[in-house]
Amino acid sequence: MNLKKYLTLTRAGAMETLQYRASAVVIVLGNLLYLTIVYFLWKAIYASSPSEVVNGMTFYDTLIYLVLAAALAASIEMYTVWMIGRDIQSGKIVLDLLKPMEYRSFYFWSMAGSMVMNFLMTFIPTFIAVEIMTHGAIHIGMNIVWFLIALVFAVLINYSIDFIVSTICLFTESIWGINIMKQVIIMLLSGATIPLAFFPDKLRAVVDHLPFQSIYNAPLSLLLDSTGDVRKAVTTLATQLMWCVVMTVISKLFWNVSVKQITVNGG
Amino acid sequence: MSGIISLNNITKEFKVLNRREGLKGSLRDLFSRDYKIVKAVDGITMEVQQGEIVGYLGPNGAGKSTTIKMMTGVLEPTSGELLVGGRVPYKNRSQNAQEIGVVFGQRSQLWWALPLVESFKLLKDIYQISDEQYDSMMKLYGSLVNIEELLHKPVRQMSLGQRTLSDILAAFLHDPKIVFLDEPTIGLDVSMKAKIRTLIQALNREKNTTVILTTHDMGDVDALCRRIVIIDKGKMLYDNDIEHLKGFFGSYRTLKIRVSGDMGKVASEIEKELPEFKVSSDEEWISVLVDEDKSKVLDVLSLLRHKHDIRDMQLEEISTEEVIKKIYEGGVE
Repeated sequence: MNLKKYLTLTRAGAMETLQYRASAVVIVLGNLLYLTIVYFLWKAIYASSPSEVVNGMTFYDTLIYLVLAAALAASIEMYTVWMIGRDIQSGKIVLDLLKPMEYRSFYFWSMAGSMVMNFLMTFIPTFIAVEIMTHGAIHIGMNIVWFLIALVFAVLINYSIDFIVSTICLFTESIWGINIMKQVIIMLLSGATIPLAFFPDKLRAVVDHLPFQSIYNAPLSLLLDSTGDVRKAVTTLATQLMWCVVMTVISKLFWNVSVKQITVNGG
Repeated sequence: MSGIISLNNITKEFKVLNRREGLKGSLRDLFSRDYKIVKAVDGITMEVQQGEIVGYLGPNGAGKSTTIKMMTGVLEPTSGELLVGGRVPYKNRSQNAQEIGVVFGQRSQLWWALPLVESFKLLKDIYQISDEQYDSMMKLYGSLVNIEELLHKPVRQMSLGQRTLSDILAAFLHDPKIVFLDEPTIGLDVSMKAKIRTLIQALNREKNTTVILTTHDMGDVDALCRRIVIIDKGKMLYDNDIEHLKGFFGSYRTLKIRVSGDMGKVASEIEKELPEFKVSSDEEWISVLVDEDKSKVLDVLSLLRHKHDIRDMQLEEISTEEVIKKIYEGGVE
């Protein structure tokens, strides 16, 4: 019964996503454009390199990684900060605060619906397309299972970070700057725009100790790993789990402290 | 006896940054610690009993919404005691939420892209409403409004009136003890306003729901509220039955007369003859606002009759609107 009230939110979110078909098309087109740029950029990078393998990755390794990263971003990026920020500015947040459940959960489960729909409509088709075009370059086996577990953690970590940033918006009452900063940091340090293998060693060492790499690098490296290295998988997942717990606790505490500070506009 | 809502000397202060002018001022504001304290609500005490409809009135910025936000648990009072259904709302927001319903006239809690029935089903699960209760509520709604027409329409395609109606139905769905209606009739046409008033009244009667209504439309007040509370600048100005309100500033009545000749000229003459009363005129009537504590309407009428040729007359009780207007303009004294 208790779970039902959360799943019903997810269901509604999925239904709402399906109402906006045009937006889905635009997102796919935008991604195709992005991927075209990625293709030519990295082609140029590899052309200027003396060897075919750079930092342990071939051109196609890199391309597959980045295509999947873009598809993953389209699935799990929920624009939480925009939405919550907008609700804070318009005062609509009051109505959601007045639901008989925690706001953090309420929002997560409402968003989960469109996340699931985007995953089914963007990531899965992209994955299949990549698999067909590369004649099965991605190994299919235990790595899929690891990937799916890692994905759940990635979503939770990403949401916690988004939620922390949204909470900051309660104080600043402006969204734009903070959100842009958040997006840039995550896209860069998570390995969503440049594979972490290309990072200089020192930066890499820092990034490895930050939560961001758990969002994109972790699930994608597990997915693309064909060696079936169980130890590596377990370590990655354990790191993710650790970050998941830490970020969830921080975001909850920060929210609980901050919600007292709310000075909802209007009225 | 303690009521379903009880406020005891509630005060809410906001810290507001003193903003400076111009670009340079804005830059300095970034580092400013120059705050001033604004008292949005200042020492309000009241008790509301189960089943009452209370009109909560006040000019814009009087502190109405702040009070409502405190009663719903979104804001924490700076000082004072506040109990809603025996609970401190901001400490038990989730449990409190189960027992209250909220409609903010200009915002919707409904799922924008989905048909209304989906929003209802969601609320049913969120508030864990049993099937029987849901069905009986639907039956009740069916008897009050043309619900079938609304249920399968996506909320974003609804007119403002239909949406407000739906929002009110949604707020009552989990049979809350208290419903807060913040300007529910704002921007609606006359017939929709009437519909909404009838609906609120019926729901209040059927479910014995306490309704706290803020509005700027005195029609709402006249139609719905027996008791009204007026605040301004955070302070309580009035808390009593609506009947007493009319005697609040003395017993006023408006005497309207029509005379032969130049109305405008006669009006200014009357203004001189009756310096203690407010005289106004339009094309049809000259109106004199008579304070019956000073002199009787009949005396005023006979006085006027000696000097002017009165062809027609009307006597009007002062409207709630005018009393409230006087109270607002008078402010806190």
